[in-house]
Amino acid sequence: MKNIYHLVVKDIIRFLNDKPAVLLTFIVPMLLITIFGNVFGGKGGGPRSKTNIILVNKSNSVVADLIESKLDTSKSLRMIKKYLPENAKDSIFFDEETAKEFVRTGKIMAAIVMPQDFFLDTSSALRFKFYYDPKNEIESAIVQGAMQQTIMTQIPKVMPIIMKRKAINYIGNDSTARFYRDMSRTVTKYFGVNSDSFMQDLTRVDSSSLFSSSTDTSAEANFMGNIIQFENEQLVGVEIANPGVTRSVGGWAIMFLLFSITGAATSLFEEKQEGTLKRLLCMTVSRADILWSKYIYSTMLGVIQLLVLFVFSWAFFDIDIFSNFFNLMIIVIVSAMAAVSFAMLITSTTKTANQANGVSMLLILVMSALGGSWFPIQFMPEWMQTGAKATMTYWSVEAFLSVLWRNGPLSSVYTNIVVLLVFTVLLNTYSLVRFRNGRVF
Amino acid sequence: MLKIKNITKSFGTITALDNISLNIEKGEFFGLLGPNGAGKTTLINTIIGYLEPELGEVSIDGEVITVENTQLRKKIGYVPQDISLYLELSAYQNLKIFGSIFNLSGNELETKITEVMELVQLSDRKKDKVKDFSGGMKRRINLAVSLLHDPKIILCDEPTVGVDPQSRNAIFEMLHNLNKTGKTILYTTHYMEEAERLCSRLAIIDNGKIIAQGTLVDLINMLEQKETIKIQKTAFTQDHIKLINDMGIISEHDFYYELIVNDKYKQHSKTFIRLEEEGINNEFVQVSRATLEDVFLNLTGRSLRD
Repeated sequence: MKNIYHLVVKDIIRFLNDKPAVLLTFIVPMLLITIFGNVFGGKGGGPRSKTNIILVNKSNSVVADLIESKLDTSKSLRMIKKYLPENAKDSIFFDEETAKEFVRTGKIMAAIVMPQDFFLDTSSALRFKFYYDPKNEIESAIVQGAMQQTIMTQIPKVMPIIMKRKAINYIGNDSTARFYRDMSRTVTKYFGVNSDSFMQDLTRVDSSSLFSSSTDTSAEANFMGNIIQFENEQLVGVEIANPGVTRSVGGWAIMFLLFSITGAATSLFEEKQEGTLKRLLCMTVSRADILWSKYIYSTMLGVIQLLVLFVFSWAFFDIDIFSNFFNLMIIVIVSAMAAVSFAMLITSTTKTANQANGVSMLLILVMSALGGSWFPIQFMPEWMQTGAKATMTYWSVEAFLSVLWRNGPLSSVYTNIVVLLVFTVLLNTYSLVRFRNGRVF
Repeated sequence: MLKIKNITKSFGTITALDNISLNIEKGEFFGLLGPNGAGKTTLINTIIGYLEPELGEVSIDGEVITVENTQLRKKIGYVPQDISLYLELSAYQNLKIFGSIFNLSGNELETKITEVMELVQLSDRKKDKVKDFSGGMKRRINLAVSLLHDPKIILCDEPTVGVDPQSRNAIFEMLHNLNKTGKTILYTTHYMEEAERLCSRLAIIDNGKIIAQGTLVDLINMLEQKETIKIQKTAFTQDHIKLINDMGIISEHDFYYELIVNDKYKQHSKTFIRLEEEGINNEFVQVSRATLEDVFLNLTGRSLRD
């Protein structure tokens, strides 16, 4: 037992003296978590950067003004309306051609133009022009989505006017007026509402009324706005300050855990090459001592690494790690044990350090991508989601999500713990058999 | 002290050690001389318990060494052929790590570290990283590590490979002093000069077999011719060969003839008188006594450096 203790101390001293290893174990994951944390949420769920879009409003319609005002308050888009021409002192409003030129030359990703005929008095549709550079399809799709969302929130207000204009187009003014009169009488007869006021609401086709204070509560607007009703209630993660980072921190932590632990375990090759492994074996150290010390040291390193990364996420991204700390620790320990068994498998089945590094790099990247470290596995086809369950990464990431995101009890991660322990036992048993016949010793 | 009895060890179809037996007494400086690949390191690995022999056994003070019996290794200080140190750590950190493996701790460990650092004359560099040391300094730390636990027997596996002459002499001196304090030393080398200079007794190993063993004198006496004479070609004609070919065996080289003299002329004076009589000026003649190289050549038909 003393030998194992001294060998663990030896590995710790070596690790602390190896600055690149310390950097890769702690600093690099912190940097990546910071980058992705800011992409997906920002510190404390704070404001994210907005995407700039040129807005050119050539319409005199109040509907265009209404939509422009809504786009101005978008959380994800920033409307750019003016620019500073060369050699000019003052900024001027974009025209359509300049906006297109800006998009064409890559100065901005997209431009939206509301033309003069955007919504005329006789229009029965809204007309937008959208110019974009598809070099980044995902970003382009996100911008279009955000824009459509903003515009669609205003549709219920415009929809009744459009429908009434369409009715006039289809059946003519006289027939439409007769229909409204009959309907007004019927509603007055049976519901006792003021006939004149109701008639005035029904026959309004003038879009200027959209800005009047009564518009939002008008019968048509309410009626149209309530055609589709969503009752949104967030059931999970309501109290989580930073959902984006909370969801992703476990995945990144596990990936880097696998890298650092594999590096620690495959250092056996390095020690063999240096001759220190043989020197130790020519002292009072047995092969079992060396394997045990590697296992204990690597597990310790893994637990410390995960803890440091979670504490870092707590300090910089307000991730709540303390309300379910005991369960989090259980997952941390079991995940570290599973990662070490993976590292031992690599060490016992490869012949050189280079081979071990190559194989582990490949497997870790595949396991991380498949197991949900990089993105939710729901993004993947069903067969890949099934395959994900064969990776230890999946079970660890899901367990971290359960305790951090859902604040789940230990019973919610029993399956994950058992699967990770089964991984650990199976891989370690196989590794031990391989070590007996392998080349490391 | 160290008894090696009928050791046989094979790797696949290659027999690395073939029924080797040696008996090394307490306080001896024993040399194991042989060319590269002769089986020296395999024998050391078997003695230390790193390799398990197929046949035979190794014992120290009557106790048999096995791979499992790790405690017996406390009696042995092993100086590996390679620099087996953590290069990214300081000399002090290396000594502390390896010392703790031998259960040394606290003041005892600090005292031993100070002692061995003084012995290898690197006290002023103990905080420096080993990777910044010269080859000779690394070799000395390599030796220092094996002395920390005060072993009874020191196994040196070619400890001067790639070392400059100055560091080599320093290592010789250290080992010589250790031997004088009563340490038993088993020293493997393929340099016959080292074996001749250091060892009180020697064994010559080739192709996994001990082909000769004894003191230096014993081994030299195995040769019929004990002197070699080199005569520069400039002072020597073909006619001279006919005149002296009864003195021994003559062989021709690029710039000289070599004459291995027979018993009749083994005394220098007789050799010189005869050569002078035949008209060969002494200033073109170089006489050397037989060496272990000659012994090896005589026993195997090959040079040690082949």
